[in-house]
Amino acid sequence: MLKSWKLKEIVLMSLFGVVFGIVYLLFIHLGNIWAGLIGPIAYEWMFGIWFIVSIICMHIIRKPGAALIPETMAAIIEVMLGNAVGPRLILSGIVQGLGAEAAFAVTRYRHFNIFVFMLAGIGAAVFSFIYGYFVSGYAALDPSFVALMFTLRVLSGAIIAGIGGKYIGDALLATGSLRGYAIARTQPRDANA
Amino acid sequence: MRNLLHDMNPAIKFITVTIAMLGLAFFFNPWTPLLFFFSILVLQLVFSRINWKLWSLFMLPFVIGAFGYLWTTIVFGAETGGTVIWSPFGYDMTDEQLALALSLSFRVLAFSSLSLLFALTTDPVKFVMSLMQQLKLSPKLAYGVLVGYQFLPVLKDEFFQIQQAHRLRGAAVEKSWWQRALGVRRVIIPMLAGAVRKAERSAFAMEARGFTGEPRTEFYRPVQIGKLDFVMSLVVLALFLGSCVCGMLLSG
Amino acid sequence: MQMHDTIFEMNNVSFRFPDDQSPTLSSISFTIERGERVAISGPSGSGKSTLLYLLNRLYPANCDGIVDGEIHLFDKPADCYSPGEINHRVATVFQDPDSQFCMPTVEEELAFTLENLNTPASEMEERIRHVLDITGLSHLRHVSIQTLSGGMKQRVATACALVMNPEVLLLDEPISHLDPYTGKEFILWLDQLQKTFNLTIIAVEHRLDYWETFFDREIKITSDGRISEDTIFKPHETLRYPLRLHSILDETVISATGLSVKMKGNTLLQPVSFHAQKGECIVIAGPNGSGKSTLVKAICGIYKKEAEKFSTDPCGYVPQSPEFLFLTSTVFDELAFGGTSSKLELDDLIESLRLTEIKEQNPFAVSHGQKRRVAIGAMLADKRNVLFLDEPTSGQDESALLELFRLIDSQLDQGDTVFIVTHDMEFAAAVADSVVLLKDGRMTGKFIADRVWQDEELLAAHNLMPPKGVKLRAESFA
Repeated sequence: MLKSWKLKEIVLMSLFGVVFGIVYLLFIHLGNIWAGLIGPIAYEWMFGIWFIVSIICMHIIRKPGAALIPETMAAIIEVMLGNAVGPRLILSGIVQGLGAEAAFAVTRYRHFNIFVFMLAGIGAAVFSFIYGYFVSGYAALDPSFVALMFTLRVLSGAIIAGIGGKYIGDALLATGSLRGYAIARTQPRDANA
Repeated sequence: MRNLLHDMNPAIKFITVTIAMLGLAFFFNPWTPLLFFFSILVLQLVFSRINWKLWSLFMLPFVIGAFGYLWTTIVFGAETGGTVIWSPFGYDMTDEQLALALSLSFRVLAFSSLSLLFALTTDPVKFVMSLMQQLKLSPKLAYGVLVGYQFLPVLKDEFFQIQQAHRLRGAAVEKSWWQRALGVRRVIIPMLAGAVRKAERSAFAMEARGFTGEPRTEFYRPVQIGKLDFVMSLVVLALFLGSCVCGMLLSG
Repeated sequence: MQMHDTIFEMNNVSFRFPDDQSPTLSSISFTIERGERVAISGPSGSGKSTLLYLLNRLYPANCDGIVDGEIHLFDKPADCYSPGEINHRVATVFQDPDSQFCMPTVEEELAFTLENLNTPASEMEERIRHVLDITGLSHLRHVSIQTLSGGMKQRVATACALVMNPEVLLLDEPISHLDPYTGKEFILWLDQLQKTFNLTIIAVEHRLDYWETFFDREIKITSDGRISEDTIFKPHETLRYPLRLHSILDETVISATGLSVKMKGNTLLQPVSFHAQKGECIVIAGPNGSGKSTLVKAICGIYKKEAEKFSTDPCGYVPQSPEFLFLTSTVFDELAFGGTSSKLELDDLIESLRLTEIKEQNPFAVSHGQKRRVAIGAMLADKRNVLFLDEPTSGQDESALLELFRLIDSQLDQGDTVFIVTHDMEFAAAVADSVVLLKDGRMTGKFIADRVWQDEELLAAHNLMPPKGVKLRAESFA
């Protein structure tokens, strides 16, 4: 699968992972304060920031794996930085990446519009929630509370990751810095479609 | 002896820690995670030279998080049955609910101590090298990750410089956190545009030095793997199994 | 010197990026023999770097470019080489010191390079030791690359190239991110290495005046990507700027007494005192880490400062990367963002900064020179008439420098005050009325510009080179 990838595309995904890692660090402080007061639900609304790298990278590169790989790389970098969540992050990175990737795979990597991006955000949210359900034992919580968490996470995935990812990818394209990437090549056709 | 955890092969350590964490997810009694938390603590006391001050600092948010978990599980817990042991504010809490809540918050603690065991005894670059050498992670991904890691300080600095520049223009005076959150999007665009350029330059520099992404055969500093790594791994897993068995016995 | 031993041969080569209509390079033909030192010159965007990337095989694969004509590398057609195969014979050093490394320390970076070549592990130690020895970098072996200065990073990048025992060294504007002083040291160092290794050197460069007699051949590329000249190298004259008349007005815009900056208990800037007038151009110079940026950011209100007395007109700041300032998606909105100027004033500003044509474009997508004009426009639109330009000359070619000169000149004539942080003393000599010299977080003083250029000792103490043109003038007076 990696054969068809240019090194510059891989490094790009890695650096994007770092940029959002920095953003995430700014937000996690907010989460930490709330987490003591309102429990794990404090993190739900910002899960989308985690998924956004997948969607931006897929928006730009448009190759199978462009959602899974950046999420995994971002997770490895987080672990390297000594993130206290630790090795577990790599697993959740892979799971989230697979969730987003699934949405693109289902649409056969042919459509890159706002709906597919929102679907990818939802996919990442659903996958990560199933994983969290198991690892963090959500089974012990009241179903209605779990449903609330789930809804928040799906919304965050669809809005922050899906709409936000599309918005950032488009804004980046407008800056002219994405010459030579798939997004710059296919844009005219998408606009006509 | 106090080097053992530090010297352990990072890939083996990674797998061991992950297995223990996933295994822990099957237990809903309070004793198993609590016992395992303490065994990990003892393990680190004996086999590592970690900075305990740093450990406490990292642990603190998780303790807060665990507390959050505790009361969420009590208040929003699923119907479990059992006998009511306390009824504050007209809310009935059963013994089973308490046990479950304790179990989940101890699980948070056990997870955290395992994570810190890994984070505080593992050299990040060696970890990625080990993923590449032992777990056959593609060199393209491994070195891609390393480039990102190298760029962290540069990008962080850029982040603050852009923020400063925006503040000068009167764009970043938003006070509330959600305004700040929205303001971040303005910082992101120039950063990502810069990242695209940096990515291409770094990739070119690597390829100009003969990097092809093919699996490599020779290593200047091979990451070793030996019997001792498996022994340490077994020790951790044995502690885990021990905690499971004791936990189940204690909770009847 | 020796018999013909052709390294590279290009025969009527043209190159086009897949997204472009017109080719970047066309009808390029030349041969390069072993041991030559060739400079490839031309304006920015002329395809010089593209040409270099065709020689080390980064292109066409990396950009899916379309190549016509014949390229022979060591007597074999270029496409016969598999990826990476040529790169240990043809090594490259790039321009950006910050993005050429993937490992933490110098030693690990060298090892990364050797691992790429599948060098037997038993030989690595010796080759690393040897190259560090020859390049004089042994003391940096275990140092973290990120902590090194730009000049040292470029040396490490060169050492990484040389550890492969290459026959050819390609240089892609290797000194454009270095200050002239460091750049000159780098060139002298490289000169020695070329002799030791008998390397063939091909360098893309637009500031050839710094290289003096380093090269023996120059290939000039035109802006439409053709070879206009292929001749014996003649040293380049320093860029001559037009003469500028002083425009200082008798009105103080900044007055500072005992201004200092402390951060987390460290004093970053010892107390400084100075005045600045309307229409004055002040150059701020000194070694890296001497406190230039700190001073600028303190005056502009980005850093917290302490001062006995401080008053200033509104200050505008243009960072080295002007796009750091941008907040909107069109050039016009960028100027209008502050909301201080009326529509009429904005139109005037856009007209005078020659931004009319790009008014509706995305400010990130315009050229570097245009970005700087947009940034200056945004500052002026907010009525910030004291401008601080951070390293505006870095990495600029001759026409960009002349354009920058004219821009600053016209702002000064309109009564704006301009501060310029720069290492480029030729540029400084052309524009400055006065010079603020800094060293180790202290201000040496604010001097009248013309006096500073004559004082070589003072300049050398601040790692600065006397401006070439001015020296000539002084000699001709004698």
